[in-house]
Amino acid sequence: MSVEAPARAARRPFHLLIAPAHIGYFVLSALVVLLISRATLDGYILNILMQAATYSVAVFGLSVVLGLCGQINLAQAAFFGIGAYAVGLGTVDYGLSYWICLGIGTIAALLAGAFLGMTTLRLGGHYLAMVTISFQQIVTLVMINAVGLTHGPDGVPSIGRPALFQTSQSYLAFAVAALAIIGYLVWHLQDTRLGRAMRAVRDNELAASVAGINVYRTKVAAFAISALLGGLGGGLFAGGFTYVSPDQFSFAESIVFLTMALLGGVASPIGSVIGTGLLILIPEWLRFLKSIPGLYLAIYGVAVILIILFMPDGIWGFIANFLRRFVKPVKVATVPPLVLAPDRTGTDMVLDVKGLSKHFGGLKAVDNVDFAVRRGGIHALIGPNGSGKTTTLNVISGLYRATAGRVVLGESDITDLSPHRRTWAGLGRTFQNIRLFRSMTALENVVIGAERRGNSLIPATGGYAALEERALAALEFVGLGPRANEPITRFSYGHQRLIEIARALAANPTLLLLDEPAAGLNSTEKRALHDLLERIAAQGLTILLIDHDMTLVSGAAQHITVLNFGKRIADGESLGVLRHPDVIAAYLGTET
Amino acid sequence: MSFILQLLFTGIGIGAVYALVALGFVLIFRATNVVNFAQGEFSMVAAFLMVVCAVDLELPYWLSFLIALGGMAFVGAIFNLGVYYPLRHRTFLPVIISTIGASIFLANTTLAIYGPQPQVLPGWFETPGFQVGPVYLDSQYLLIIAVTVVLVGFQYWFFEHTLIGKKLQATSQDKEMASLLGIPVARMIMITFIYSALIGGIAGILVAPILFVSIQMGSSIALKAFAATIIGGFGDVAGAIIGGLALGIIETFGAAYISVPYKDGFAFFVLILFLIFRPQGIFGERVAEKA
Amino acid sequence: MSLLSIKDIVVRYGEIEAVHGVAFDVDEGQVVTLLGSNGAGKSTTLRAISGLIAPAAGDIVFEGKSIAGKGPEDIVRLGISHVPEGRRVFPGLSVRENIMLGASNRSGGAGILGREADEMFELFPDIRPFRDALGWTLSGGQQQMVAVARGLMAKPRLLLLDEPSLGLAPVIVQAVFRIISEIRRRGTTVLLVEQNARMGLSVADYGYVLESGRLALGGKPDELWGNEAIRAAYLGGGQAAARV
Repeated sequence: MSVEAPARAARRPFHLLIAPAHIGYFVLSALVVLLISRATLDGYILNILMQAATYSVAVFGLSVVLGLCGQINLAQAAFFGIGAYAVGLGTVDYGLSYWICLGIGTIAALLAGAFLGMTTLRLGGHYLAMVTISFQQIVTLVMINAVGLTHGPDGVPSIGRPALFQTSQSYLAFAVAALAIIGYLVWHLQDTRLGRAMRAVRDNELAASVAGINVYRTKVAAFAISALLGGLGGGLFAGGFTYVSPDQFSFAESIVFLTMALLGGVASPIGSVIGTGLLILIPEWLRFLKSIPGLYLAIYGVAVILIILFMPDGIWGFIANFLRRFVKPVKVATVPPLVLAPDRTGTDMVLDVKGLSKHFGGLKAVDNVDFAVRRGGIHALIGPNGSGKTTTLNVISGLYRATAGRVVLGESDITDLSPHRRTWAGLGRTFQNIRLFRSMTALENVVIGAERRGNSLIPATGGYAALEERALAALEFVGLGPRANEPITRFSYGHQRLIEIARALAANPTLLLLDEPAAGLNSTEKRALHDLLERIAAQGLTILLIDHDMTLVSGAAQHITVLNFGKRIADGESLGVLRHPDVIAAYLGTET
Repeated sequence: MSFILQLLFTGIGIGAVYALVALGFVLIFRATNVVNFAQGEFSMVAAFLMVVCAVDLELPYWLSFLIALGGMAFVGAIFNLGVYYPLRHRTFLPVIISTIGASIFLANTTLAIYGPQPQVLPGWFETPGFQVGPVYLDSQYLLIIAVTVVLVGFQYWFFEHTLIGKKLQATSQDKEMASLLGIPVARMIMITFIYSALIGGIAGILVAPILFVSIQMGSSIALKAFAATIIGGFGDVAGAIIGGLALGIIETFGAAYISVPYKDGFAFFVLILFLIFRPQGIFGERVAEKA
Repeated sequence: MSLLSIKDIVVRYGEIEAVHGVAFDVDEGQVVTLLGSNGAGKSTTLRAISGLIAPAAGDIVFEGKSIAGKGPEDIVRLGISHVPEGRRVFPGLSVRENIMLGASNRSGGAGILGREADEMFELFPDIRPFRDALGWTLSGGQQQMVAVARGLMAKPRLLLLDEPSLGLAPVIVQAVFRIISEIRRRGTTVLLVEQNARMGLSVADYGYVLESGRLALGGKPDELWGNEAIRAAYLGGGQAAARV
């Protein structure tokens, strides 16, 4: 096997479903399923395994919403209950087939999750936490009080199973097989476009939105998938135990699910299985704790605080960090050099800003500013501290809404678009204080950029290989190609700036906005940056540069716009602007 | 008509309790930017302390009350040191998970000590109430309303007219600047937690004779108080009070005219409506985007 | 002996070294100005002095005692008051309350502090009409006045002023600098950080130029003003400043 094969295989596009290297996983899973269906298991062991298998599916949901996307869900037991009651009531009261009920329950949980997510996820995380708790309480209320529908506190007995798996043991084998398949899919979610978007949102929402990710939709998707897995787990659970009652799906159980996810390690389905297994077994070993009601949940409560304090990555996170030390970064393939082909539709002016204002209360941070950026070359926007440059950049890239004025990119008016739509339209930017996705490698960061919708250089059929090739080319272009597979945290500050630029370049933007790229760089790095800017401009990509380093600005930019007190005070060809008396006064101060 | 007035009275009484717990939420949120998910457990623990002192040990009611408040000050202090302070530099998600852990711990430790049976705490007064015109005024409800008015008044005076109140406000608005002026930020946060535990505790003690004293009372009060803060406008003191009262009234009328078993569901329904149509709440967005 | 001695301090934010081995003295009763472009390390130096960030190496000596590594609450009690960049007026408190809280480093009841705050309006007559207005409703210039008044309420031996002219119109800048001269006349030592070189030097007894986290040069205001390095540090076009 060649050196690069494992890395390639691990990043196989999702639509291929099963990579050759993963056949081992399925063979092993099949063996376990076979073993379970043939071995003699007593009822006690069988129950424990049944609980572990079905709970694990629900905990996978938390690894998606909390681990991948960084959003909280305190109602997993409610979604679990929705799936379980669908199977219970459907097979018992309505005589439906198990499979139809399982489908209904899963979809009902998905819809409930999507609705909750859509109403709440535009707001802060606190809202989500409280709303999910409230939802959990409502579901419990309905289960207990809507006796006509749910049988009330007595629960639903003698729930049906599929014809194929009538015995408990065969059903367990089925549940474990389902667990193996679902686990595989969840594991690979992170290698899909959606999974990458979720990780990006978790690491840095602002950077994700300017990389072209619809942050809101991504969060709703994560939450809905989590609810779906909860419902699916619940449906499996109902068939396994053939009896459901409201107390099995209470808020306390949601906390148990959360503790399982946190203990095992929220970032991976392996952690979910470890956490679930441990928290089902430990209370069995410590049965005496259950003799005093409340005691073991009290211990869970303390465990949650201790895990958050001392082991934020959980058991699997701890193990994975340890193993990572022995894994050498994969050698990087050679790729053809980066091509930039900025969109050329529209007039000579790639960006046209007209009458732009941004007021914060009474403060006019940007006040009726006009300027246009000519296609090709480097245009600098400068001004003393507090003059409104960064505010202007934030209004152009959509992080602030303009109080008045228009912003036109190429032929499209982008004034009212959200940040990710501006990125789709061809805007690229970097941040003054670097915003990278800190849990990812350099390559993964740049892939997110390459994935921009509207990037004409990525063929629709290219799959992940095409994205990776483009990302590598962009890293090569900024001089970091050989280190592509290293995690972000290993790069120096200056190199992180370059990775951020590479992320923007990989998207093949029409206009690149650089917010103080020289800040914090030493003089060697600044010269390298200057050279990089010239190489970018040489490929025809227009740059709008904000910086305080006048050596860089005067050396690199052909055209300069100067702001002071939120107003434009000078605009024109570089040397002339820098000799302008108003500009000198703005920088050095005046006595009158 | 008299029935409606009667419901209004009851609704305001219950709403006053939600308002008190909501005030605790808002104070901690403004000081630390953290929503304290164990706020309701403060009420629950205080109610159980009252049961222990006034019912089990048969101490005088006023002495039990003082002991319970002392206990709550201690709980607030330990809560700050154990649950919030070690995590103060982390993002909000670990901190709220930590407060959820604390809430589970407090509720279930109480359960382990006291068992699952709901307890009964008698009211403060012997007289159950008075008939005033068409309305029967229950003395415990009158007490709740009176104490809430006094506490809100006290809080207004404390925050607006004392130097320490101003220091607390400064700390919640800009911690770094407060420390540059020599305001002891850590002590201010400690005071905030103790104060929140105290008013949460008072709310629990007041409402205990009306409800049963149970493990679940904390989380159900906290959920409604949180809904009240969202309805009023997150982080706004006046909003928390108005939201709490509104919710108490809605819930009482809902139980009377729509359904008793789903009484606890109305708060959630109203909350969802607000989230969809007016997420900033009644008093939201009064302060400018950037000062 | 100088009031404040900065001895070869190094300050890091995570991996970035913002100040590499800066050393200078501030003598009692003087106004010393630190000049330099954005990112040169001026604000970071002030933050190290007032205890907001601990220096990774070097020492800071105030009145003969080392204060490096102490917290901001302790340092302001020793007599160093920091008026940070961006003014940081408490938005939800009134002007008078903001100013009163400036005395949080010393004891005194609300009554006494209120009277002292009222006296402060004599030095800042422009903000007297707004004494009961909330912080966030003020203009930038008014906020700057409040921030300086609040800093003076600590009765500091040394006042650190970070970019008091930032974002202010020229007339307001002049008013602010008149106040700095008045503060000096009353005997308070001032360490001033400025981008506005001309104004910054106009009130100074001594000036230093910082470039990329190092001291590039220092001297009396008229020596510095004639120096090409100042111009280069702000407007580029030369490596002159890199020598020294």
